[in-house]
Amino acid sequence: MKLERSDRGPLWAFLGPAIILMLVFFVIPVIYVAVVSLMKWNGISAPEFRNIRNYMLLFKDKAFIRSVTNNVIWALVAGFIQVPLAMVMAIILSRKPKGWKFFRTVYFFPQVISGIALAMLWRAVYNAETGLLNGILKSVGMGHLACDWLGGIKTAFPAVLIYWVFYVGYYMVIMMADITTIDESYYEAATIDGATDFQQAIHITIPLIRRTSLLTCVTLASVMGLRQFEQVYMLTNGGPANTTSTIVLYMYKKLQDSNYGVASASAVILILVGVVFIVAIRKLFEGRSETVKVKKVRAGK
Amino acid sequence: MKKALALLLALCMIFALCACGQQAAPAPAAEKPAEAPAAEAPAAEAPAAPAEEIVINFPSVWVGTDSKAPYMEKLIAQFNEENAGSIKVVVEEQTDYQAARDKLRTTITTGNTPDLCILDTTYDIKAYTTSGKFMDLSPYLAEGWGQDFTDGAIDAWSVDGKVCFLPFESAVFTPIYNTKIFNEIGWDHFPATYDEFFQFCKDAKAAGYNAMGQMAGENGWSSMLWYSLIVEAIGGKDVYADGLKNPAFVQAAEVLKQMYDYTFEGALSAGAGDVNGHWLKRDTAIYLNGPWWVANLYKEENAVDGVLLADDCEVAANPKYEGGKGEGGLVTTVQAFLAAAEQTDPAKKEAVVKFIKYLTDPEHVSELALTSGAMFFVKYEPSPETNLISQKLTQVANDADFTIIHVNGAFPTAFSTEFPAAVSALIGGQVDAQGFVDQLQTAIDMAE
Repeated sequence: MKLERSDRGPLWAFLGPAIILMLVFFVIPVIYVAVVSLMKWNGISAPEFRNIRNYMLLFKDKAFIRSVTNNVIWALVAGFIQVPLAMVMAIILSRKPKGWKFFRTVYFFPQVISGIALAMLWRAVYNAETGLLNGILKSVGMGHLACDWLGGIKTAFPAVLIYWVFYVGYYMVIMMADITTIDESYYEAATIDGATDFQQAIHITIPLIRRTSLLTCVTLASVMGLRQFEQVYMLTNGGPANTTSTIVLYMYKKLQDSNYGVASASAVILILVGVVFIVAIRKLFEGRSETVKVKKVRAGK
Repeated sequence: MKKALALLLALCMIFALCACGQQAAPAPAAEKPAEAPAAEAPAAEAPAAPAEEIVINFPSVWVGTDSKAPYMEKLIAQFNEENAGSIKVVVEEQTDYQAARDKLRTTITTGNTPDLCILDTTYDIKAYTTSGKFMDLSPYLAEGWGQDFTDGAIDAWSVDGKVCFLPFESAVFTPIYNTKIFNEIGWDHFPATYDEFFQFCKDAKAAGYNAMGQMAGENGWSSMLWYSLIVEAIGGKDVYADGLKNPAFVQAAEVLKQMYDYTFEGALSAGAGDVNGHWLKRDTAIYLNGPWWVANLYKEENAVDGVLLADDCEVAANPKYEGGKGEGGLVTTVQAFLAAAEQTDPAKKEAVVKFIKYLTDPEHVSELALTSGAMFFVKYEPSPETNLISQKLTQVANDADFTIIHVNGAFPTAFSTEFPAAVSALIGGQVDAQGFVDQLQTAIDMAE
């Protein structure tokens, strides 16, 4: 549709504030970070142009490579384990079994608690000497498995990651809201045809939420995975031996070192990784959505 | 009609946004009266406007549970009372030391240096001094105030004759040990050498005690201090002359790794709370921290069966290392510098200097030392009530043939940031002692 000249005034008037805010709070800071990423700057002395040396330093640094790897694992686990778990919970609870409201509240509850508080709680659970986890293992005769979960090179990252995977409430609620808009007649027809609950979920529910809430949740969860900071900071501060470090934590440590150039370079890499993830997820879902023939008919229409 | 309505809506939205901006603008002014005493609020009705009160913004970590907090609070209240109506010190409480460091660095970088601040960095002094963001205190010190400080302390931190960072709190790091545990396992003295030290460690472990507390979590503080002591014992007073190239750093890493065999379980993920907790529980024989921690040894809440922990404590010297150059040395640091932002208003400048002089007044420092156990660069007459442990720490400091600062203070911040990761890599077997030093060197190189 071609806009007429007289339409442009109101269009720009509506878009103007948003564009200005976007420029001031996103575009300009990103450009600033990109420029600083090419500098050597400690925040006190005058910045000094050093071309792409900061990026070369980053890619030579094992801690940074580990941080990127951890973030990618985190984003993949978020998108392809955490969200599917949330989807399963959403499908089950949207069938409104007995006590579904209670379970919905219980699963959502961790979302209203600060991530810092949760991290502190889990730090206590993982404590090598007084932690609940080792206590349980010892009490059931599996004391040989007890260890310093957050201090072990092999156990720290899984320990940091695993508890978080089960906090599915946020995505579950989003998908539940979407599932409730699916017309009941699909399920009634499927029931008459003899489809089981599982078959209905696979052939009706999932295809109908795939391009909407599922795509949104996978994108959100992956982006959250890429932005991980407070949980790692509180539980391990990136240790032991940087095995649990993430890009944001790495960036934070470089800021602590007053190494603003390298910190900005890592921020640029984070933005690029984020863009790659978002584009890849959209492509993945677009490709599969072509096969979806069923159209969602909203109740009442 | 629709277009006109759309235009109207758009204009309303723009006005709404503008209105938000206008509301936000006067906020700082609105906060001002809150800082002033309530009696000054109706200033408009007064016949003549009183001279404006100078407010000194002071972000401080000497608050909350810090051992200096009670006396500092009293001192600042006293200063505000003595200068009521003309100067007011407003303390911005910073209870998290690391967060306070981060915030301070950011405020300095963004040109919002606080009127007065506490810094514990030693490596960045030159860069900060030459930045022009801090007040040069040398003219005031030359007027006689400088005589209040220990000899050479101020000169050591002056840059091109400028003194922007006033060394205030000092610290010595030497082991304190639990005599009760020592006696129980048959030791009547503290190990004089590191060979003997490890013999003691074996005995302590066999008796079910942790020889010492280590931590590779958080900032790795305790391990950093132990590493500094070993580095000093091996390398002596010139150990920092060639940076990390001195072989003492590799040897010290090997010794540090051995120590982890004699600490508590979970030290790789432990923080200061864990180390302190074990020491207070009396299951750890040797403790290493700064003198500010001494006050805790005398706290009733840390007593067991009415016996203060201090009653079972003794101060020791750093053991000698076979073939090392560190005999008679001591690890110290400037725990806190006082630094003030450069001021354009001469009245405010004078007010800030007045407050710093007040803080560093020998009488006040004497009281501060007594109540907190901390040590200072100000020359003061120790109170006769000074506790025994503090007296012994002072004696150790006085007896030292030479001093070196701890490793965190000797290298750029990148060293201390990387230290916990390097220690956990060393203990976890990911790197050897040389790899540990290389990891730290790489972190430093990246920041250079």
